[in-house]
Amino acid sequence: MITERHLQIFIALAEEQHFGDAARAVGITQPPLSQGLRRLEALVGSKLFERGAGRVELTPAGVALLPYARRALTSIEELHQAAVARDPEGPEIRLGLAPEVPPSAGAAVAAACGSMIPGSRVTVVTAPTSSLVNQVGTGRLTLAAVLHPAVLDGLEAGPVSLLPTWALVPAATVDTEVVALRQLKGLPIAVRPRAEAPAARDLFLDTLALHRPDGGTVVVTDERAGLAMAAAGQAIVVTADPALIAPGVGRHRLADDPLPLRLRLVWSRTRTPFLRPNDVMAQLTEALAS
Amino acid sequence: MNARIRGIFEDAGVRGWLHAVSLDEPEASVELDADAVVPLASVYKLPLLAGFCRLVDLGELDPRERVTLEPSARTAGPTGLSAFADPVTVSLRDLALSMATVSDNASADALLDIVGLRRLAQILESFGLRRTWVRRGTAANLRDLQRRTGADDADAALAVLADNDRTDPVGVYEAANGSAASARDLTLLLRRLWAGELLSAEQTEFVKTTMHRQIFLHRLASGFPHDGVRVAGKTGTFGALRHEAGVVTLPGGAAFAIAVLTLAARGDLRQPRVDAAIGEAARVAVDVLR
Repeated sequence: MITERHLQIFIALAEEQHFGDAARAVGITQPPLSQGLRRLEALVGSKLFERGAGRVELTPAGVALLPYARRALTSIEELHQAAVARDPEGPEIRLGLAPEVPPSAGAAVAAACGSMIPGSRVTVVTAPTSSLVNQVGTGRLTLAAVLHPAVLDGLEAGPVSLLPTWALVPAATVDTEVVALRQLKGLPIAVRPRAEAPAARDLFLDTLALHRPDGGTVVVTDERAGLAMAAAGQAIVVTADPALIAPGVGRHRLADDPLPLRLRLVWSRTRTPFLRPNDVMAQLTEALAS
Repeated sequence: MNARIRGIFEDAGVRGWLHAVSLDEPEASVELDADAVVPLASVYKLPLLAGFCRLVDLGELDPRERVTLEPSARTAGPTGLSAFADPVTVSLRDLALSMATVSDNASADALLDIVGLRRLAQILESFGLRRTWVRRGTAANLRDLQRRTGADDADAALAVLADNDRTDPVGVYEAANGSAASARDLTLLLRRLWAGELLSAEQTEFVKTTMHRQIFLHRLASGFPHDGVRVAGKTGTFGALRHEAGVVTLPGGAAFAIAVLTLAARGDLRQPRVDAAIGEAARVAVDVLR
């Protein structure tokens, strides 16, 4: 019996022309991929690929049968989607947002989840990147917007979105609209705890140290605390939130945007069949960066 | 104990794999995902060194035989013959020396051509290594990276991996696509080499001496800042991969084979925290075993 997996293997090998890459695209390792291909070839009664040194090429029989395989796989995917859409409960999408994600960007992703996946119920939690990655890995979350770079450990991840950041500084410290990072002297920059996302935080701190050798940092629990410290004339906040503002605090663009917020959507390939169409993730990524 | 090593890797922003074993009491080991197969980067030069020495023992290769390497045919790289401007005539054993002590890519690819992938695979199998594959050398690895990144040359391709604002091309860090091994297999190779089970006394001595002459001290050796501790090793660095496999010998003579393999979240070419984490994880493992 020809299975969905056989079709996935056939199409992935035709597209990737490489066993390792095709295995990755299907989400399996190489031995079951080779085994699946041999089984499919036995089932259709002809050799589908020539295996050469490092290259894999379609045979004439493979070329002839590929369009049928594509049509069959598309039909199966449509069946999955129709089934999901008919479920009265709808799929539950548990979305995680890192605390650095601007509220408006998080809202846009959640809204896009709701409209892209018909009938879905969206729930949202906020947690540090390291916790979100864990929760997506164990299936407690469907997907999450996390800081990049982070150790992802086998999760699927979308492209890196770069969000510009502003410096929030005590009023009267700076008088130009755009300010160079090295001009922001004398006050520490508020940062969240390093353990929440060590790689992303180190990248931020290393970049900061390069542009601004003195001034230091102060650890805050969240942007609310950072903003309050800025209002009290005690700290500078670097934020991607376009709406974060308080009396007595000035908002300034940073020249050349040296400290962009790098965000990525992560999800688990095996646990989220309804996220499979690539354009769903593309739309969600767009929502994140908009 | 694993929690402590896991913590070191998390703090450094890496995914890590580790196996450490006492040479005298192989039943005592420390392991973290030790059977996962990981792309080796330049650590493949270690099984290649062992394979070359085996062919010398078999009389199939003469270690004093000279070859001449033309600049145009040499693999690029930062060290050894890769960095030379002019044709070089060198003996096979000196190619092995340059390959192992300074991770010379040109010497390694020349030696791999002479040893041959097929012959090396048979030797590694005869060594009892079931999860070690040398599928290609550095030149082929760089060609593959260029194909995946669409870059014009190797430097531009590596720059794509180093860019924290971009997503890594698919498949670059897939074990199935290149030379790969498990941490456990690497320590098995080292343990059997050190015990003299694989090579003649003369070639065993050549391997040990050569590995003790490796110039890189920033990874395994950085965990043992005492001149009384001897460290013989082979590093591997490619994109975000940072590895070292080696043997640590304490002043009393107790010795441990250790493989620490990591994939960093950040892409930067220089990542001193990761290098230091490799040494720290090795030291924690040795402290458990001693």
